[in-house]
Amino acid sequence: MVNDRGQLYTIEGIAASMIMLFTTFLVLNATTVYTPGDSHISDMQLEQIGTDSLRMMNMQENGSAGTNPLIAGTSPLQDMVDNLPVVNGAIAPAPDAFDPTNAFNVTFTNYVDNKTGSETDNLHYTASVTYYDIANKTTGSLLLSANRNLSGVEHPVRVTEWVIAYRPVPGDVTLTEPRVVLVEVLLWRD
Amino acid sequence: MARLSDDAQWIVMMGFVVSFSFFFLAMILNQSTVVGQTSAESVLDFPKNDIRDVRSVIIQSTSLVPVNITAAHGLILQNDIETISLMRKNAIVTYSVEWPAPPVTETFVNIHYNNGVTAYNETWQSL
Repeated sequence: MVNDRGQLYTIEGIAASMIMLFTTFLVLNATTVYTPGDSHISDMQLEQIGTDSLRMMNMQENGSAGTNPLIAGTSPLQDMVDNLPVVNGAIAPAPDAFDPTNAFNVTFTNYVDNKTGSETDNLHYTASVTYYDIANKTTGSLLLSANRNLSGVEHPVRVTEWVIAYRPVPGDVTLTEPRVVLVEVLLWRD
Repeated sequence: MARLSDDAQWIVMMGFVVSFSFFFLAMILNQSTVVGQTSAESVLDFPKNDIRDVRSVIIQSTSLVPVNITAAHGLILQNDIETISLMRKNAIVTYSVEWPAPPVTETFVNIHYNNGVTAYNETWQSL
């Protein structure tokens, strides 16, 4: 038999069920799953510190004459590229790339691992020099320095810095004049 | 079922008001988990450092001519910059240099950068 008694209880029941459903929705929605796609915030910090470090390394040291005979005052990063061994008339991968005393390793890790407090950070990187091979019309890369091999499971960011190098690169047609190369660093934290 | 009574209407209504205010607060709290995500994405997407770097190296290589290298070798540097930008950074970079021609004593460099999303154009003028 239909009557209109209990209307307030009905409304209360509907409201309560909506409240419970909405609560479930909020609770499930608030669960944060940290997927690789959500790592933009730490990526941005890594990219910023890496770029800043490379830029600091590419600043001419004040009053220094540098090793380049053409221009007074090269940056430490230019010197590191220029100090790569010359094999068959062109620069070759650094033989001491994984040596902790490698000049790039010392300066770069000093910059990127520096943080407030007594403990230093422990970032990993692989640095290479990309050049344009005029003879073969292609780009190539030479290992400059690294403190860890990329195994493929890391999630690195890439930071780069343009450098004018005063050593011939592979496929070079002139052996005395500078070339523009790109120092690329893959930087990651694990 | 109990007989309908309208004695406690205020209590029921205040119950609703309080619970809905809790939900409002919960929704605000819910939003806080993604704070920083959008802004970090924007920073990563915008090639600020790429543009500053390529601009810097273009001006640097231009300033080597003609004292340290010839204008012809300047074109090799230009080819290096444009090719490596395209191959390694997916950006089209072109530039052209207007050398000083009397009575003009300044060098002008027209720089163009485009990575498909962000375009940057500049005419740089030497002192």
